Amino acid sequence: MNVLFPATADAVLEALRAHPDARLMAGGTDLLVRRRAGAVAPGVLVCLERVADLNGVEVLGDAIRIGAATTLTAILENGAIRERLPLLRDAAGAFASPPVRNMATLGGNLCTASPAADTLPPLCVLGAEAEILSSSGTRRMPVADFVTGPGRTALEPGELLGSVTVPVPGGGTIQHFEKVGRRKAMAIAVVSLAALLRVEGGVIAEARLAWGSVGPTVVRCPEAEALLAGRAPTLETFRAAGESVRRAVRPIDDVRASAGYRRRVAANLLLRLAEKAGPAALG
Amino acid sequence: MSPLPSMGSRSRRFDAPDKALGRERFAADEYPENLLWAGALRAGAPHGLVRGVDTARAEAMPGVVAVLTAGDVPGANRQGFIYWDMPVLCGDKVRHAGDPVALVVAETREILAEALLAIEPDIEPLPVVDGLDAALAPDAPRVHDLETGNVLKQATVRKGDARAALDRCDVVIEETFFTPQQAHCFLETENGTARMDAAGIIHMTVSTQSPFRDRYEVGQALGIPQERLHVIAPFLGGGFGGKDGVTVQCLLALAAMHAGGRPVKMWWSREESLLAGYKRHAARMRFRLGAGADGALRALVCDLDYDTGAYAHLGVEIMALGLEHASGPYRVETLEANGRCVYTNNPVAGAFRGFGVAQVSFAFEGMMDRLADRLGMDPLELRLQNAIRRGDRNGVGVAMTASTGMAECLAGLREHPLWRTRGAWVREAPPLTRRGVGVAAVLNGMGYGRGLADMAVAKVRLTVDGRFRIYNGVSDMGQGNSPTFVRMACHVLNQDESGMELVQPDTDRSHPSGSAAAGRTTYTYGKALIRACEAMRDKLLHRAAMALLVDDVADLELAPGAVRHPATGRALPLALLGSKLHPDDRCCVSEAMMPVTRDVPEGGEAFRLGFPHLIFPYAAHLARVEVDELTGRVAVADYVAFTDGGRVLDPQTYEQQVQGAVAQGLGYALWEDCAAEGGRLLATDLSTYVIPGAGDLPDIESHAVETVEESGPFGMKGIGEVGMNGPLPAVASALLRMGLPMTRAPFTPERILAALGGDDS
Repeated sequence: MNVLFPATADAVLEALRAHPDARLMAGGTDLLVRRRAGAVAPGVLVCLERVADLNGVEVLGDAIRIGAATTLTAILENGAIRERLPLLRDAAGAFASPPVRNMATLGGNLCTASPAADTLPPLCVLGAEAEILSSSGTRRMPVADFVTGPGRTALEPGELLGSVTVPVPGGGTIQHFEKVGRRKAMAIAVVSLAALLRVEGGVIAEARLAWGSVGPTVVRCPEAEALLAGRAPTLETFRAAGESVRRAVRPIDDVRASAGYRRRVAANLLLRLAEKAGPAALG
Repeated sequence: MSPLPSMGSRSRRFDAPDKALGRERFAADEYPENLLWAGALRAGAPHGLVRGVDTARAEAMPGVVAVLTAGDVPGANRQGFIYWDMPVLCGDKVRHAGDPVALVVAETREILAEALLAIEPDIEPLPVVDGLDAALAPDAPRVHDLETGNVLKQATVRKGDARAALDRCDVVIEETFFTPQQAHCFLETENGTARMDAAGIIHMTVSTQSPFRDRYEVGQALGIPQERLHVIAPFLGGGFGGKDGVTVQCLLALAAMHAGGRPVKMWWSREESLLAGYKRHAARMRFRLGAGADGALRALVCDLDYDTGAYAHLGVEIMALGLEHASGPYRVETLEANGRCVYTNNPVAGAFRGFGVAQVSFAFEGMMDRLADRLGMDPLELRLQNAIRRGDRNGVGVAMTASTGMAECLAGLREHPLWRTRGAWVREAPPLTRRGVGVAAVLNGMGYGRGLADMAVAKVRLTVDGRFRIYNGVSDMGQGNSPTFVRMACHVLNQDESGMELVQPDTDRSHPSGSAAAGRTTYTYGKALIRACEAMRDKLLHRAAMALLVDDVADLELAPGAVRHPATGRALPLALLGSKLHPDDRCCVSEAMMPVTRDVPEGGEAFRLGFPHLIFPYAAHLARVEVDELTGRVAVADYVAFTDGGRVLDPQTYEQQVQGAVAQGLGYALWEDCAAEGGRLLATDLSTYVIPGAGDLPDIESHAVETVEESGPFGMKGIGEVGMNGPLPAVASALLRMGLPMTRAPFTPERILAALGGDDS
């Protein structure tokens, strides 16, 4: 196996041109596991760990730009993300375990495109945008469109995910993330929920909801979001939205949980928002 | 001179520095020069007839040294302990998906992997016996050719007429409980190295709990005289029963016989360990318990079915312990316990910490909780009222003449703040959360039991430079028996640890002392070691008397590094003594046996070996448990264990045993399940077979109830197993109090959510 260590994004693109069958590797926490199991056998590996321009967190006014090769640990420890994107921070905190977070990257999590990816639901509700690099230029698209299915992305041959830009929600927005795994660390999500809730005058002005692990990729539920809008954030309100959630999700049975469990819990997780939003509604 | 660590004080473990610094060499660390790799091809099919195994392509591959099949196995080709039913390599039939059908020896691991893929087994599938129901069906396919179908052993143990007594009880409770197969998940998976020397002797270094018995088992299976097998058992990276009996040994010895004198290494991957390693028996337990309105236990009738998987291993003995412990640590007037040990095409079940008892603990404690509920009694008081006390006869009629601290453990729990404040804690549950506080009272027979001498032979040597070397005879798999041996020897010989050396089991150097199992290691070998050290002390005082011109050895004493004459202050350094003595004279060997009962319960004669027991450690556990109503997730917030293990010799090792057992027991309660579908495991690695991590476990508080076990070394008895038995029933007890009567372990969020009922929250 030939392993390359380019130092710039341009050099990565050049390597992809020279070796069209090459696989990109950031932290390798997914790829190397699959390689050990014999699921992939890349002849050329292009490693991203030394590419400085793909790494780092930058505050751009009302948005935060995160390089694709930024590790989950760096996201977890970043002050701006902790203060302004607690939703993403919580998802990073629920991700695998400290040693894996030291290696795994945000771009890797998106490009692996697992239905259970921890960072996908938060990035979707936050309206994050992916920046895609290629030798012919740069294009952008919503992260929600970037992942097209299990293990599938919108990347064309020769393209590279450069960064993700995340708009910071306005003040007074409640950001909530919950991951249901089979244990606290080193667990693949059985269900996860990312929610943005803007509460004004005691009622929900806007709700944005996204679930992980209950469909081929992130599941949104516009019907539930519409149901919540204009109502007080009480248990009854969130319970009433449950039926539309149970209809919207498309979970499967696997060794981790049954489809029925996932469907029921996907709806139940909304009820946690009452606790979080209740005080905001009162205040 | 630092003060000598006295028995019962807290000090550093003798084995800690080498392990912390990475200097300790486990079997897996052995990479002898010029080594070859061996590996087995697993059947894949859970049940089938072997039509043939085409090895031609593998044999032709460069770097492949040998490809072996059943026809190449020289001996009986049967492994086992009492029932010799497990082929080394399967030639006619495969009985579970992990059965080996071919063995490859190759130059590298990579070539080995490719050669295994190149072998083509031709297996004609048979209907799969996927569990107890399928195995016990009238027309069930037979896993083995037994006249009794798939029932390997059926037995009944009786005390009085329990059925008649049941009819006369004020209250009768009936329930059926289910426990899953559990995997040991030791850090160091099954492995070893082997080499056959020019004289035809096979030298093996193996991660094993039973080096001496391995010689017998390998010898029988491969037709090799035991004298030609030399087994070394370094510290293990965990065992828990899963390395009690051969794992890699027969395959490894067979590989060494075809390696041209080169060393061979075999090391199962985690996936292979889960597929082919032993498991805890899954069990189904139907209980009927009768009591008086006052809570007195009058009658217990139970039917226990243990799924032993494809082979017997120690399944019959495990079932026997289930029957023996079916009535728990309680006085029950009458008992009828019926057991069946059943073959299926599931993974092979074998020894596991809590050997048959971890299963029934869930059942008898579940019955006590239900009885308390029915009678409106406090569950702890009901247990205390019925707790077995010294002098009582237990459920199978054996008189409890040894230390019996069950009531003291429960009394400790009753006074504990977490028990006393349980009402307030439950009332203060946050929204969408239920809380409950559970208790469990458990026990676990120590030692092999009647019929199989629980014996150990200790050897201690004064080295030529005046140090003492202990030849441990029972494997140390991390439980800490061997550092405790050092502490015992230091105490008897009045030395500090700098004067001690420790040798791990080696069939050429130490003496047969049984397996590291049954909570017996420190007890039995420790008893023998005290005698050996006392003999050594006497010997050295006598030998020194001449040099020091002392007339009476009573005037002499052993001191660190010397024999001293306090009256004059003169001393003879041990180094000098060591250099003067003949090597034969520098060694003391002594033996000891664990006492057994002469009471043979009615029905007990069905078990020649290992039934019943005389000495029991006890424990009372408390769990504060929270359930999330939205997800069904169960969190154990706090945990307390009171343990009667007799006198505590080393508080740190004691606490580690309790905490490790509780962690493994909580895994059994909440996560771990080797569920199989059609004989194929659903969880094939540690990403799907879930064991708890640090974040999932509560603080575990350990308290010792120090009864004195007069028969034990320094008054101790073994606690390696008893702690495993408490967590499952303690968590179940807490859940029952929240209105969640769970009968099937583990208590997964999915099962809890179903028990919570409703459809949307």
